Amino acid sequence: MLCADMTKRLKHFDLELRFSCAPGAITAVVGPSGAGKTTMIRLLAGLERPDSGTIAFGGQIWAEPESGVFVPARKRGLSLVFQDYTLFPHLNIRKNVAFAATDMDRVDTLMDMFGIRHLASSKPAAISGGERQRAAFCQALARDPVLLLLDEPFSALDVATRRNLRANLKELKGELNIPVLHVTHDLEEAVFLGDTIMAVENGQAAPDWLHRQCMLPQQYPTGLSRHAPVRSS
Amino acid sequence: MDWTPLLLSAKLAFWAMALIPIAAAPLAYLLAFGRFRGKSVLDAIVALPMVLPPTVLGFGLLMVMGPRGVAGAAWEELTGGRLVFSFAGILIASLIFNLPFAVQPLRASFEKMDSRLLESAAILGLSPAAAFFRIILPNCIGGLAASSILVFAHSLGEFGVILMVGGSIPGKTQVASIAIFEAVEAMRFNDAFLMSATLIPVSFAVLMIINKLNARRP
Amino acid sequence: MKRIAAFVLALALLLPSGAMAADLLIAQAANYTTIMQEEIIPAFEKATGLTVQATYASTGKLYGQIVSGAPFDMLLAADESRPEKLHADGLAHTPFVYATGQVVLWSLDKKLCSKGWKSAVQDPGVKKISIANTETAPYGTSAMQALQATGMWEAAQPRLVFGQSITQAFQFAFTGAADVGFIAYSSVFTEEGKKGCFVVVDEAPPVVQSGCILKNAPNPDAAARFAEFLVSPEVQAMKLKYGYK
Repeated sequence: MLCADMTKRLKHFDLELRFSCAPGAITAVVGPSGAGKTTMIRLLAGLERPDSGTIAFGGQIWAEPESGVFVPARKRGLSLVFQDYTLFPHLNIRKNVAFAATDMDRVDTLMDMFGIRHLASSKPAAISGGERQRAAFCQALARDPVLLLLDEPFSALDVATRRNLRANLKELKGELNIPVLHVTHDLEEAVFLGDTIMAVENGQAAPDWLHRQCMLPQQYPTGLSRHAPVRSS
Repeated sequence: MDWTPLLLSAKLAFWAMALIPIAAAPLAYLLAFGRFRGKSVLDAIVALPMVLPPTVLGFGLLMVMGPRGVAGAAWEELTGGRLVFSFAGILIASLIFNLPFAVQPLRASFEKMDSRLLESAAILGLSPAAAFFRIILPNCIGGLAASSILVFAHSLGEFGVILMVGGSIPGKTQVASIAIFEAVEAMRFNDAFLMSATLIPVSFAVLMIINKLNARRP
Repeated sequence: MKRIAAFVLALALLLPSGAMAADLLIAQAANYTTIMQEEIIPAFEKATGLTVQATYASTGKLYGQIVSGAPFDMLLAADESRPEKLHADGLAHTPFVYATGQVVLWSLDKKLCSKGWKSAVQDPGVKKISIANTETAPYGTSAMQALQATGMWEAAQPRLVFGQSITQAFQFAFTGAADVGFIAYSSVFTEEGKKGCFVVVDEAPPVVQSGCILKNAPNPDAAARFAEFLVSPEVQAMKLKYGYK
């Protein structure tokens, strides 16, 4: 269980969020760009420190400025998939996937599942964007993370690859049995993947944001479109 | 003609090239990624040997590395030998003199790295030190090679600083540049010409390698 | 931008240009710098009303410049060979001796001087001995001859460190980098020289410094007057004060 009640002063507004994520469930985080979604992910990952509040995971406090507790990213045991893959350029795909893994069988299973086994000895620069993002997913999952953070992982991919990866993720969800936080600006994707949907606007939870989006007829002529708007007006 | 000074210069250049990353890489790392007070001061100190006249730097080193200086006294305590006028002495002086020339290209290649690779490494459990060796260095191998070879070339022709702390001892500290200078002073122009004629193609080849490496870097 | 340009221009105009008109231009071996600047030139200018300008560098460099046609009136060398060579090549008039220097052994460690220079050189605590380049610096040659004459040259060899000039040999000794150094007697009288002790190396042949007036001298008369002045009783007293004969 991930519990967060945190604040962080940002340039244009204060981020103030309070939520929890249960294992085995995907929390889809939606909202306009610049809403503080990425900062939220970075706070949870331990790449930034909150100004106040508490981030706790499974009974352990990860960050609590008031008591001076801060567990750095490398000790949190979580995984993060960025929007554009961050594979290590000097390692081949298999070495990238196995980077933080302990179980090599799991590495092979994942590479089969994501269809990149044949790319094992290729360098990241030699394969396509879709393949790289699959490899990034494998790398994130191969370490058996306690928490999976996804920061718009599909947004740079073509439709087919996106659909495949979504299916993979949904399939894995139950088996993983960890909390998954999935930031996206694609409402259809949020609805498809999310067990819970959390809307964020100006650093605050905005329960009616999704509702407001649905009410914009020009942008959603046929209900939830595959091409969701990037910005709200 | 005696070839010892040329061989000595090659030996000095080789050791300087091999050892410079040990000093330059951590400094380049601090300057590229560090967020601390006094960073600009460190930056200026590292660059200092580049702006100081070699004789001024050399005189400072002579004081510090001499038996009455801090470094020289410690060295004498440890090894029983004298640091100035020794091969180790001119090597250390060369390393200090070369530091900014090695740190700049390394730092540039560190700064060009995608910072998210380091964040990714941290999330995957790597300590900063492990990330340095497993992620940063392998991805900056071009910058590392360029900086080391630049130091090699630079040490090959190094004169002022070595003149100040070397004492021109044949076979130990009398490197090619000093031997050439002395030959000219003594009007042994033939010797000076032969040594220079050997030094030029070697330096030229090294510069060609540096250019190749720089061109290849992404 | 304009202001910067104006500043640079002003700076350039204010800085000494070096090409001030002088009645006499001397190429002076650097070891004689202090006595020339402090005593001889001011005295000569006062006595004659002429302005003298001197360039101080190593004898070898000055020789090279003269051979390449530098417009000096006279060369005052640190040795005898270069003026002789200029004379032999038809570039200068007959050389004359203007000063004689002496090699001394100098050390920061005052104990080392008490038993004479030979025991100081052989002292087991002495790890490094500085000496000027034996090939190009006359004081280095003279010190080498003293070591050879006393049979200590071979034994001293591994402990010798070489300065490019007598000044650098002194620098090594003065910073303590070398425990003792063969230096010029004249250095003993400097501010730094007074901080250590010295022993005269009797076995070292005197270092004869000779000079010559150049055949192409732009101001031959002034040069002749200066050459005369250099060996006058007035200058003789100055030389003694600075460790020359």
